[in-house]
Amino acid sequence: MTIIHVENIRKSFGKNKAVDDVSFDVEKGRIFGLLGPNGAGKTTTIRMINNILGPDEGSITINGQIASPLTQKMIGYMPEERGLYKKMKVGEQLLYLTQLKGMKTKAAKEAIHYWLDRFDASDWTKKEVGELSKGMSQKIQFIATIAHDPDIYIFDEPFSGLDPINSDMLKDIIIELKNNGKTILFSTHRMEQVEQMCDDICLFNKGKAVLQGKLREVKASFGKNTINLEFDGDGSFLDKLEGVRLNNRSTNFAEIRVLNGQNMQDILKLAMEHAEIHKFERIEPSLNEIFISTVGEDNLKAQRLEEAQ
Amino acid sequence: MDFSKILLVLKREYLTRAKSKSFILSTILTPLVLIGFGAFMVWIMTSETETDKSVGVYDQTGVLVENLIALDSVRYSNVSDLPIDTVKAMVLREDLDAYLLLEEKHIETNENAELIYGGSGGLAFSSSVRGDIRDVIQEERLSRANVSDEVKELFARRPGLDSRKLTEEGEAEDDKAGFMSGVGFVLGLLIFIGLFGYGAVLMRSVIEEKTNRIVEVITSSLKPIELLIGKVAGVCLLGFTQFTVWAVMYIGISIAAVPVAGVLMQDQISEMADTQDIEQVAAEAGFDPASLEVLSIDPMIFVYFFLFFVLGFFMYASIFAAVGSAVDSEQDTQQFMPILMVPLMGAYILNTRIMVDPDSTLAVVASLFPLTSPINMITRIATTDVPLWQIGASLALLIASFFGVMWVSAKIYRVGILMYGKKASFGDFAKWIKQS
Repeated sequence: MTIIHVENIRKSFGKNKAVDDVSFDVEKGRIFGLLGPNGAGKTTTIRMINNILGPDEGSITINGQIASPLTQKMIGYMPEERGLYKKMKVGEQLLYLTQLKGMKTKAAKEAIHYWLDRFDASDWTKKEVGELSKGMSQKIQFIATIAHDPDIYIFDEPFSGLDPINSDMLKDIIIELKNNGKTILFSTHRMEQVEQMCDDICLFNKGKAVLQGKLREVKASFGKNTINLEFDGDGSFLDKLEGVRLNNRSTNFAEIRVLNGQNMQDILKLAMEHAEIHKFERIEPSLNEIFISTVGEDNLKAQRLEEAQ
Repeated sequence: MDFSKILLVLKREYLTRAKSKSFILSTILTPLVLIGFGAFMVWIMTSETETDKSVGVYDQTGVLVENLIALDSVRYSNVSDLPIDTVKAMVLREDLDAYLLLEEKHIETNENAELIYGGSGGLAFSSSVRGDIRDVIQEERLSRANVSDEVKELFARRPGLDSRKLTEEGEAEDDKAGFMSGVGFVLGLLIFIGLFGYGAVLMRSVIEEKTNRIVEVITSSLKPIELLIGKVAGVCLLGFTQFTVWAVMYIGISIAAVPVAGVLMQDQISEMADTQDIEQVAAEAGFDPASLEVLSIDPMIFVYFFLFFVLGFFMYASIFAAVGSAVDSEQDTQQFMPILMVPLMGAYILNTRIMVDPDSTLAVVASLFPLTSPINMITRIATTDVPLWQIGASLALLIASFFGVMWVSAKIYRVGILMYGKKASFGDFAKWIKQS
């Protein structure tokens, strides 16, 4: 069942087309990943789903309803730019944010109490957020996002800035929410997180959705044209290879994407001449590789350069 | 528009601020500082600033010097017998502060006498000498003209002016124009301070939500306009709390002060009563027992104060909020401040004129123009009888422009709050207004 339906949305800021004719569906009870480099239009899309911005064209429906203040209540949103009132007490603050989502005072208090308990944070209610450590306030931020028990959870770059403990905790929460039948949409530019967690993906580049579908199907459609190579010895032979792309290269490991249908046995032979081979495996390409081949390497380099500037 | 959400925002905005130490302190301390400042001003105005200066009188007429010495024997001394160079030397040595050159022609013609001073003069000093000279020369002229004592008496009298105001009932009541124009100015000043002070509080609050990065969390729960209205109303209510506390303090102090002042005055009056007529003494002391009644203010003025403050605040506060939304820190607000400073400071400066001349065309225009009317109209209302149509027109214009300004500000606000790390300009404002 489709719970978020995005249809032909466009959004421009001045001359900049931030989102350019994007459509996708998010199925209920699944984890949906929005991927793409910075500035690809992920955050703008997410803001439109949250009814913070309105699309110039196209439509967004949540649970069959056009995005509106009503649908905002169905969503728990943790933006990339996130924070809390520093001078407000944890308890009051959570109550305020949960009430804003339309929850009644009593139910809100119970929910907050439950989550504070779960995170061993009950002692913090009377503390001001400014007094908390960064890790502690991140936990409060999670509670603020999920306490009103919505059906849909949207996290924009959730793992950026999280310490490893909270990062793991968030992963657990996301899995738990999914097991409870909730729907999760999150955006990231880090592909390995998507590989670990997502059921479905949508790839963004320059405001367009360039690739989408079930993660497994997307990967399978690229075929087993990638080699996982582990070796011991001089790795310089890798530079002699033609018609391949090297990802994830290190001193004794390389992920080799074979282009132009080149014979993999030739690569193995060459490798054996120069180094001791521990592992030679044909695999599906990594998401990172898929992304690069979809968007185009040159394209991506230019973009990274822009970002760096 | 969801009013339950606006109410939530209002409540948070109001409570977190009203409970803060800085608010409680400023509520209590501000009147104390003002009273202290007022007392200081009174002290400066009444304290004897004139120091005793010695003036040598070099009198060639031979008649004026005695009259001057009779007038003030401490200040004036006769140096007519000394050579003029010696007198000059004495001034240079600072044995004398100045010398006065008097000749026949000063009595006979309109030529001015001369005061020559050494180290320091001072306006107060020369004007007081001028007063003395006028008195003695006029007296001399009168006696030379051989006029009768009656005429001299006529010249000695200074005609005065008592003013009373005619009211609808036809009774002339005690005039309190002086007091009321003071009240008018203070009320205008309070609105000026309120618009500026609480406007800045709101602006800081908007910036705080941006720098704390909480604003996006909040806008995923409500519309920016609801957030804006809730915040403006919350800070407005905060202002009212403060004004109410101050009003209660003022009333409390005046209730306590009247009997005390009465007792003090009574003592003073009865002391002098032995020698002179009480009323005269009281009048000389600048105190009329009835004047305490005058201190009462028509309650309608407070109703108007309320109206003009609220409407003016909502209009200006939305501009403050728009400015706050466009920046990442308080320092960055500098470039936008003129749009707020110019009308507000202008209204304040106009107020000093309006308070003394409340019926002039300038005053009428300023009290109708919506950017200045919140400050200038209340001063006029307190100072003079403003025709109802003018008050009505002023309010109508203010309400209309409040909606207009709010509409534009809200557009800037809803884009601005989601912009990070970019310094906005007036050009960006125009873009944002078009965009949303």
